[in-house]
Amino acid sequence: MAPREGSNEPSGTPVPLEKGFATLATLRTGVKAWVHKDGEYRKAEILAIQPKKGTNTYYVHYEEFNKRLDEWVRPDRIDLTREVEWPAPEKPDKKKTQGAPPKAQQPQSKSDAASKNQKKTLKRPRSSQGGTPEVLTDAGNSKSSRPSRASGKENKEVTILAPEITDLATPKVEDEEIDLVDVQDAAAAAKAAPPEEYSREEEIEKLRTSGSLTQNQTEISRVRNLEKIQMGKHEIEPWYFSPYPVEFAEEDMVYICEFCLGYYADVTQFERHREKCTLQHPPGNEIYRDDFVSFFEIDGRRQRTWCRNLCLLSKLFLDHKTLYYDVDPFLFYCMCIRSEHGCHFVGYFSKEKESAEGYNVACILTLPQYQRAGFGRLLIQFSYELSKREGKLGSPEKPLSDLGLLGYRAYWQETIVDLLMDGRTDANVEELGAITAMTTNDVLHTLQNLNMLRYSKNQHVIVLTDAVIEQRERQKEKEKLRGKRVIDPERLQWKPPVFTASSRTWNW
Amino acid sequence: MAQRVTGQRFRQRKLSTKQSLPVLRESEVDGLVDDEAQRHVPRVETGVEKAEETEHHLQAVISASAAAAVGGKVAQLYIPTPDVVQNEKQYDKLYPKAFKQPATYIRTSSTVEDGTGCPYTADHSDFVFLKVANQRNEKLKCTVDEFEILMNSFEETAASKQPYAAVSNAPVLSYDDVEAAMSDEVPEEARTFAKVVYEHWKSRRVANGNRSLSPSLKFETNVETDDADPYVCFRRREVRQTRKTRGRDAQATEKCNTLRWQLEQARDLMRKTVIKVQTDHKALLLERDVFLQRKAVREMRRTLNIKGDDDDLINQKPAQKPKPKAEPNMAQRGVPGLGVKTPLPRADGRPFDSDLLSLQDQKARKKESITSFIDDNLNKHQDWNKGYVDMTWRPITPPLEQSLKSTFRPAIVVALPTPPASEEGEPMDIDETTVGKRRRDSFDVQYETSRVPPWENPEKRPSFRRRTGRGGRVMIDRRGIQRDRDNANEFYAPRAYTSPSHKESKSLYPGQRALKRSFGDLEMYDRPTAKRQISDHDAHRTFDRFKYDRDSDEDEELYVIDPHSDSHMKYRVLMERSTSTLQLRRSQGGQPPGHHRSASGQHLIPPPA
Ligand SMILES: [Zn+2]
Repeated sequence: MAPREGSNEPSGTPVPLEKGFATLATLRTGVKAWVHKDGEYRKAEILAIQPKKGTNTYYVHYEEFNKRLDEWVRPDRIDLTREVEWPAPEKPDKKKTQGAPPKAQQPQSKSDAASKNQKKTLKRPRSSQGGTPEVLTDAGNSKSSRPSRASGKENKEVTILAPEITDLATPKVEDEEIDLVDVQDAAAAAKAAPPEEYSREEEIEKLRTSGSLTQNQTEISRVRNLEKIQMGKHEIEPWYFSPYPVEFAEEDMVYICEFCLGYYADVTQFERHREKCTLQHPPGNEIYRDDFVSFFEIDGRRQRTWCRNLCLLSKLFLDHKTLYYDVDPFLFYCMCIRSEHGCHFVGYFSKEKESAEGYNVACILTLPQYQRAGFGRLLIQFSYELSKREGKLGSPEKPLSDLGLLGYRAYWQETIVDLLMDGRTDANVEELGAITAMTTNDVLHTLQNLNMLRYSKNQHVIVLTDAVIEQRERQKEKEKLRGKRVIDPERLQWKPPVFTASSRTWNW
Repeated sequence: MAQRVTGQRFRQRKLSTKQSLPVLRESEVDGLVDDEAQRHVPRVETGVEKAEETEHHLQAVISASAAAAVGGKVAQLYIPTPDVVQNEKQYDKLYPKAFKQPATYIRTSSTVEDGTGCPYTADHSDFVFLKVANQRNEKLKCTVDEFEILMNSFEETAASKQPYAAVSNAPVLSYDDVEAAMSDEVPEEARTFAKVVYEHWKSRRVANGNRSLSPSLKFETNVETDDADPYVCFRRREVRQTRKTRGRDAQATEKCNTLRWQLEQARDLMRKTVIKVQTDHKALLLERDVFLQRKAVREMRRTLNIKGDDDDLINQKPAQKPKPKAEPNMAQRGVPGLGVKTPLPRADGRPFDSDLLSLQDQKARKKESITSFIDDNLNKHQDWNKGYVDMTWRPITPPLEQSLKSTFRPAIVVALPTPPASEEGEPMDIDETTVGKRRRDSFDVQYETSRVPPWENPEKRPSFRRRTGRGGRVMIDRRGIQRDRDNANEFYAPRAYTSPSHKESKSLYPGQRALKRSFGDLEMYDRPTAKRQISDHDAHRTFDRFKYDRDSDEDEELYVIDPHSDSHMKYRVLMERSTSTLQLRRSQGGQPPGHHRSASGQHLIPPPA
């Protein structure tokens, strides 16, 4: 198996690619061609072909672009004067399970862990896996032959790299001392290791036991199914597939009730629903209110319909979310802005009722119509305020989306820098974490990312760099001008909910 | 040396998250960055999936912020996202301005189902049908609500009767089927349209392959292909496997049994309560009947001028009759009050008797008034005597107060052949059963008559008792103990009678203590002076008593003779009558005339009833 790292660069791909010229007639799914996008031609993989008004339209995924930019293109945007890459022929199934998942649980004993995991993997009965995943994948992608393994994008569908990330970000730091060398080695080892590939069974098993909602689903319908949704005052283009009723794939517009999040393809039906619908806010208890936003706490078990509706909606904008399992083990913290119409749902984060890994956020989303307005920061801050109230350190579940990462980094940077600028002359990582409810790893991440953790005169020091200070000052000026919205912990009327064993179970 | 340095450096590279690190400004750090160590500052994982980490736009933003962190000025970059278009045309029509924010935080537990009315929502084709149907039928208009209720009823019936209709190709349910299954929730008015709406529903079902009309999510159907279907969502989580052990099973069984037992108990209790309340109700009705009939009888009597036994107009205690009936096998006639549980008023099922006057009660009341009169006098009498001490030994009429009001408890005397071994630190057994019950006011009147003269101690054998005194002190009282002669003399020696003043000698003290001990109950004699008084007093009285019993006081030798001791009496009986006996008897019978005979003697006779 080729190292995945290299596979993202076409030049580094060890498997020889079959290249050649194609015509519209020979284009098929899995082919990578050059497609015009935003003033340039980018290499893109054809994921689906559909006849439309006499000609085919092609659903393409641009390499190195996020999936949310995947789109239907007409043939005239494809540059057939350049060579295309043909999908590689099918590989034997064995490959699927060959990679040893480098689940470096403890960085210190990475080799042990790796070998153990390998054994574990090997122990699994092959018979139950053999061939099935491939068949299943084909079933979901029946029009095409199997896309090239060499391409990172395809592999992504069947690969979960989360474990290694998860481990590093696991909030529980058992050793008080982290050997940075080892951490790095582990990271390097993880990168060098062949990409672990989870068979569908393994992945589902993981879902069953971990309860996570954000794991990537092997089977991703890679083509967006909804054209557009109408919600409140906005018409929004979905970013990803979401398992709304199959019939909706044929609709131009799906109408979503802003309050109950119910979905309707028929506009008359939607209007009729609005006559009947009496909801004016998320169906739960308001636990926070300031003059800008309100937060509602919704129990997935008690408000199954609403939470399912919410998950369907948010799946449109979250790639790594899975709706494989039901909403029972989660609490949903929903942020709303108020008007005379009611409490308008702006964004939310979900949280496991009991997270074995210590995550304080499972999925987090600001609806696209409210993005880039500082709501994400409020959601993140709120999640940490809850953790503070619980007396726990928290971290978001991995993998993060690109937007999620940026949001968290911004919040972490601001929080840590503000703390360090309060005049203190020394600080230790754990203390910073305790004050902010951030995990030690997230604090380290932030310090290192900002180049603030240095080694000078035989000891580690935290450096408030001029650049960081300057950046913060500029930010503060902006806040002064625009007004800064923050969560006021005083206004949080919340006690960590306690669940009986029966309400925590995953069955009904 | 060099080795040590490298060793040190190696250790230093470890970053302790607990160790306080100095926070410095950039100017405070020397420009020389330790390259080797810096190399070991790792890149922390971003948490983003590897494949996505390299994405163009993310990298652009990350490198921009990295540049900013190093000091570069970079315009803020955003990751591009698909379009959002604002469209408010319909908004106010669809979403009424009806929200009133409560002053307190909103709390609710109602669900979407609670807030969205009928589960079936009419769509465009339904409205078209309704319009046409209502035009055809001029008189009766089917409302959308009624229509939806009917459609929902049909859909629900189909879902329950043909859960796999879509797969099994079953025909659409007949009208009879859906009509029969119609629930009470379908109002009468709506039923008139049932047939028409059914035809519409059927045509739509047929067109839809007999599948549910409202588009629904795909839930798991336990078919193999489910897993591959991205549309299948919200699967049930599997029950977490709990390790099953025999112990756990037993525990669970136990719990279930207990729960069941408790529930049954509760149920039984409820059942009995119901029966009781019903019985009470019946009793009340009967009571009322009795009352009304008595009233009738009384009026009848008045009108007919009958006078006579009024007993039947008040409730007679059913007395003993029902009791043996209730428990005939239990109550043995020979042991009354043992088998027969106290005749509770409600045992006979007539709990309301007490409200009515019964003859027995009246008698009891009379009796009570008499006893209370006696008690009152007793108390009064005690008040008169307050502060006085009855100095008599052997009064003619012993004061009754003691026996009635047990100011002095009869000492429970336990005879022990030897003093009990006292173990240090071990709590001692208390012989008195009523310890510490003594009231403060119990010493208002002291009747010395309770005591017999010291030499008349009937207890011939040495005896002890243990008791708790004030503050929980444990005391031992001794009685009739054999003392060494000196001490005994101090009490009983004739010397005492000839010259009581001698008692002031110090050698007296142990005897005093003994005395105090033997009458330890009399706490009023606690002080040393009091102690002396009592002994002087006793001695004086003893002397006084024998004052004239001697022929001459020339004789220095004094013999203490108790004329009432058993041996003396026997002797006297044997000797028949002698003058001395007569004398003695006279002196005993004729108590001194000035003797403070307890006034109670006259008052204790109960007033005539
Ligand atoms: Zn609604």
